[in-house]
Amino acid sequence: MNTDPYEILGVPKTATQDEIKKAYRKLAKELHPDLHPDDKAKQERFKEVSAANDLLGDPEKRRRFDAGEIDASGQERPERQYYHHYAGQDAGRRYDPGPGFEGGMDQDDLNDIFSQFFRARAAGAGGGGFRHEVHARGSDMRYHLEVDFLDAARGAKRRVTMPDGNNIEITIPPGVRDGQTLRLRGKGAPGIGGGAAGDALVTVSVGTHPVFARLDDDIEMELPITFDEAVLGAKVDVPTVLGSVSVTIPKGASSGRRLRLRGKGIKGPKGKPGDQIVRLKIVLPKKIDPEMEELAERWRRMAVFDPRAELRRMT
Amino acid sequence: MRHTEEMVLTKIRRLSRRELRLWVRQGWVRPAVGEAGPVFDELDIARLRLLCDLRKEMALPTTAMPVVLNLIDQLYQTRRDLRTLLRALDDQPEDVRSTLAARLRLSDTNDAAEDSD
Repeated sequence: MNTDPYEILGVPKTATQDEIKKAYRKLAKELHPDLHPDDKAKQERFKEVSAANDLLGDPEKRRRFDAGEIDASGQERPERQYYHHYAGQDAGRRYDPGPGFEGGMDQDDLNDIFSQFFRARAAGAGGGGFRHEVHARGSDMRYHLEVDFLDAARGAKRRVTMPDGNNIEITIPPGVRDGQTLRLRGKGAPGIGGGAAGDALVTVSVGTHPVFARLDDDIEMELPITFDEAVLGAKVDVPTVLGSVSVTIPKGASSGRRLRLRGKGIKGPKGKPGDQIVRLKIVLPKKIDPEMEELAERWRRMAVFDPRAELRRMT
Repeated sequence: MRHTEEMVLTKIRRLSRRELRLWVRQGWVRPAVGEAGPVFDELDIARLRLLCDLRKEMALPTTAMPVVLNLIDQLYQTRRDLRTLLRALDDQPEDVRSTLAARLRLSDTNDAAEDSD
């Protein structure tokens, strides 16, 4: 591997700072890893070129290198994570110019790829636009909003500061899903020559919750119950996304038993509300008291119940 | 990891506050909108570094940026779609996959022949 930064940049040792900068720019345009995400050789070369530029582009470091005070690798720096590392993952979808496969593109309509391409071109990127009409509707602006789990389930209003400094209130409809896009009419870029303002397209990321999990409009949770509640049955308070409700634990309930609380899930904008599914879990106290122990001893001596009989028969 | 504007500026020292705000306003980078202003995640930070490379190191003019960014965003969308397609192909029976592989090799050769014209 070549380690001479002058050779890597292809400049003579007598090059001016300006010549070094020019040489680096030329190579960077050719080699930048985000422009060639699959080309490992180019990525390696870019690393060398960047390192060479870090050294020679800084007159002080260059002087010390020329004087032999530091070697070509300069000092250790934390490895940079390039854009392609993130953009290749699902999160990168936020910057997609149009709907892709997962955005509801017609599976069997490959032409869509081409129509998307031309739509994207006509609209320009980042709200730039190539429109020639004098009266034009303002372009749509894309934003991204993080919403916590309960706000998404119940719906909420959020006051946010837009990049232009304006404060607007966003109404989050109850039951909004992760990745869903809300359209705020007229909150995009202003129109040109009296044209209407564009819309703000707000993509929502919904956070997770330590207790509740979501499955479409159903909510799942685990409910710890005591030994006596399991044996005798009980009425206990159970949290739901819309507040606490009273639930009857049936007599003789086992761990893992699921109770369905109809209509206590997410009440979306349409259709019937989801359910809350409660998974029972019998929890014993950390320290077993003597009376409970005595009871268990007596119960064991009776030996009336074998929960593993089924297992043995089947294996 | 969530970063405020201030944290972004300490992290990327070649980026000025003016540029950061301008780029957000232009939609080149789209942080989450929060009550106290923008919130940047790792994806946004990596994108800002790419923007710095394009604008500062490569000296791309402002007017070229929307075109370049749109092309880059299309590239990554296409790559993700392609991966989805490949995963779907992975689930296909062996004969379907080998037919496709043969077909793709064939079109490779055709392209090469056209290029040499």
